[in-house]
Amino acid sequence: MSDYEAFRARARAWLQSVAGEFGREARRGLGVEQDLALGRRYLAARFDAGFAGINWPTEMGGQGLTHIEKVIFDTEEMGFGMPTAYFGISLGMPVPILMRFCEDKAFVRERVLKALRGEEIWCQLFSEPAGGSDLAGLRTRAEVDGNGWKLNGQKVWTSWAQYCDYGVIVARTDPTVPKHKGLTYYWVDMKAPGVEVRPIKLAGGDSHVNEVFFDDVRLEDSQRMSPVGGGFAVAMATLMIERYVATDSGGFGPHLDLFVDLARDVEVNGRPAIEDGRIRSQIARNHAMRAGLESITTRAMLMMQAGMEPGPEGSLNKLVAVRSRQKLSELAIDLQGNAGLAFDPHASQKENWTASWLNAPTGRIAGGADEMLLNTIAERILGLPQDHRPDKGVPFNQIPA
Amino acid sequence: MSILLDEGQQAIATECRRVLEARSDKARLLGLLEQVGACDAVFRDTAVEQGWTALAIAEEHGGLGLGLIELGLVAQAAGGVIAGAPFLTVGYGAARVLAEAGAAEVQAAWLPRLASGAATATVAFAEGNAPLPPRPTTTFAGGRLTGVKEGVVAGLAADIAVVWAMSAGEPALVLVELSAATRNPVDGFDNSRLYADLAFADVPAMLLAQGEAARALALDVLGRMAVVTAHEQTGGAEALLTIARDYAVTRKAFGQPIGAFQSVKHRIAELYGLVEIARANCIHAAALADAPQGTAAFLIAAADARISATEAYDTAARDCVQIHGGIGVTWEQGLHLHMRRARSLAIEQGNLLFWEDLLVDQLTGEAA
Repeated sequence: MSDYEAFRARARAWLQSVAGEFGREARRGLGVEQDLALGRRYLAARFDAGFAGINWPTEMGGQGLTHIEKVIFDTEEMGFGMPTAYFGISLGMPVPILMRFCEDKAFVRERVLKALRGEEIWCQLFSEPAGGSDLAGLRTRAEVDGNGWKLNGQKVWTSWAQYCDYGVIVARTDPTVPKHKGLTYYWVDMKAPGVEVRPIKLAGGDSHVNEVFFDDVRLEDSQRMSPVGGGFAVAMATLMIERYVATDSGGFGPHLDLFVDLARDVEVNGRPAIEDGRIRSQIARNHAMRAGLESITTRAMLMMQAGMEPGPEGSLNKLVAVRSRQKLSELAIDLQGNAGLAFDPHASQKENWTASWLNAPTGRIAGGADEMLLNTIAERILGLPQDHRPDKGVPFNQIPA
Repeated sequence: MSILLDEGQQAIATECRRVLEARSDKARLLGLLEQVGACDAVFRDTAVEQGWTALAIAEEHGGLGLGLIELGLVAQAAGGVIAGAPFLTVGYGAARVLAEAGAAEVQAAWLPRLASGAATATVAFAEGNAPLPPRPTTTFAGGRLTGVKEGVVAGLAADIAVVWAMSAGEPALVLVELSAATRNPVDGFDNSRLYADLAFADVPAMLLAQGEAARALALDVLGRMAVVTAHEQTGGAEALLTIARDYAVTRKAFGQPIGAFQSVKHRIAELYGLVEIARANCIHAAALADAPQGTAAFLIAAADARISATEAYDTAARDCVQIHGGIGVTWEQGLHLHMRRARSLAIEQGNLLFWEDLLVDQLTGEAA
C-alpha cells in the first residue's frame, strides 16, 4: 500500500468512527443554527484528530502534508455528508490568503487556529450589485482616513456572512485610474461598527448568502493585505489558490445510481422506466460524461503523485457536471409525474432531485458562471481572443454607468 | 492498470503523429471519396512499415506484443489525419479472436501474416442495424457458411473474416476465407473504408467458438474494437478543435477575429470539453481491457469511451464547419472528410443506440 493509500485508509477509518455523531444521518432534521453548532464541534474533533489544515504548515496548526493528501481527505469526507459547508469558503480562500499576505504573523496564527477549530469563520467580500463576473467593476470604496482607511459601500452574494467573524474585501481606493489598477485588498472585522449583514433568501428557500453594507467602517492600515492599488492581483490569487480541489462528477447533486433506482421504481406506459429508450439514453450519456470527468480527476491525482503538473482539463468539472445535473434533475421530476410535485425544503440536494433542481442554478453561477468558465477555457487554454471590452484602459470614473 | 502513459507509449504517440502528418495529403483523400474499391494505400503502407499491424499481436506470432493502449494511440493519430484505418481496427479484432479461440495451426497460418501485413482480416458481426444480433441469420453447418453480411468495413479487400453466425441453434464465431465469398461494393459517403456486402453461398468455413464462449468473446472483441474506434474518433475531434481554433483567430469579421465573439469562442470551448472527456474515457477503457476488474467494468468503460467519442467527433464536425461559414462546405476545403468519417466511425463497431443500451444493461446487471 502506498503512503497515499495508507493515508486514505487512516482518514476513512477516522471519518467512519465519527460519522454517527456528525454525518448525514446525525444532521437530518437539524435547523441551520443547530447544524452550524454541530459543524463547529466537528471541526474541533477534526483538528484534534490531526486532519485539519492538511496541506498547511505545522507552525500554523496544519499537518504539513501536500495537496494530494488534502484532496484525498476531502474526497473521502465528502461521502459522509459532514457539516462542513459553513467553513468551506473560510478555510478554502480567505484564511490561506491571510497566511500568505498578512504581515502580522502572531495575529495570523491565532486566526488560523480558531478558523481550523471552527471557532471563527471568514467570508470573502468580492461580488457587488454592479459587478459579479466583472469583479474589477466594483464600487465599494476605501478612502484615506488619518493613519487608516474608511470603508463605504455594499457587497452581495457573500456566503455565510451572517455567521462570520472576519472577511477579506477588495475596495476601490482610486477611481481616476483604469478599473483593475485602483483596487486595494484588506481584511475586515465583521463585528466592527458600521457593518450590517442582511441575509438573502434564495430560490431554493435557504439564506446562506447575504448583502453586506459598510457605513464608515474604520480599517487600520495594518489590515491592508496588498499594496495600495495592487488589490486585483491578490483577489486573483485568492480565486486561484486551490487549483486542485476535491470534485464531484455529479455536480454536487445526486449520484447517478439514485436516478437508476428511480427509473426502476416508476413505470412509463406500463413498463419500468428503466426499459424506456429515452430514459436509457439519458442514463448512458450522463454516465459517459461523469466517467470522463472522473478519469480526468484520477489522472490529475496520479500526475501530482508522480510529481507532474496536471493539465488544464480539470477546469471542466464544474462547468460540465452542474449543468448536466440540472437537466437530469428536471428529467427525474418528470419521471415522477404528479407525484413529483411534492417538495421538502429541507431535503438534501445530494439526495433529492427536486432540491437538486431548485439549487442547480446557484451552482451554475456561484464561483464562476458557466459563461465565464467558457471564456477562461477559450482564452487561457485555447488562446482565443478576449471579448471586446469597451471599458479597457478607461479611468474607472469615466466608464459610462 | 495505469492511465498515465509511460515514456514508450508517449514516444509511440509522438512518432505516429509525426509520420502521419508528413504523409497526409488532403487531395489524395478527396480523390478516394469518389472511387469505390480504393483505400488509402499510403496509409496502408505506412501502417505495415511502422509495424502498426503487428502492434497488438503476440511476439510468438510475429507481433510486437503490445496492447490496446498502444494501438489506441496509433488510432488516435490516424484519426487526426483522417487516415484509412479499417485494417488497424478490424484486423486487430480478427487477430484477437484467432488468438483467443483459434487452433494452433490456424493461428500459425494467419497471425504472422496479419502481423507482417502480408494478409488482412476483417470482422463481420453486424446484420441489418444490429451490431451484434442475438440470433444472426447467417448460418454455419457442416463446415459451410451461408448468409449475407452488409456493410462490412474493409470487406472489399480483406483476405479473411471472422463472422458472427448461428450454428446448431447457438451463436458462433467462424473463420472464412473471403476468396470464396461474393463481395458487393457499397458505394457510400466514405468510400476508402472499403465497405462491402459479403454474400456467403455455402462456402467453406471453420468454427472458432460456439454458444456462451462465442458470445462472450464477440462482446469482448467488439468492445476492444469500439475502444480503438473511439480513439480514432477522439483524434478526429481533436484535429477539428485545432482547425476551428486556428480559423477563429485568423478570420476577421466586423473588425475583429471571429474568435472574439462568444458565440464562436464558447462553441470552441465546448468542443474542448467534449474532446477531453472522450480522451479521458478512451485511456481509461484501454487500460481496463486486460485489467483484473473484469468484463463488466471493461464493457462499461468501452461504452463510455464510445458514447463520448461519438458525441465529440460528430459535434466537432458539425461545429467546425459552422464556424467556417461558406468555405466550410466546399469540396476543396475538405472539412467534409471529417464530417463523413465522423459518421462512418459512429456506425462501425456499434452505433450509439447499441452502446447506450449495453451500458445501461451492464449498470443494471442485466447482461447484454
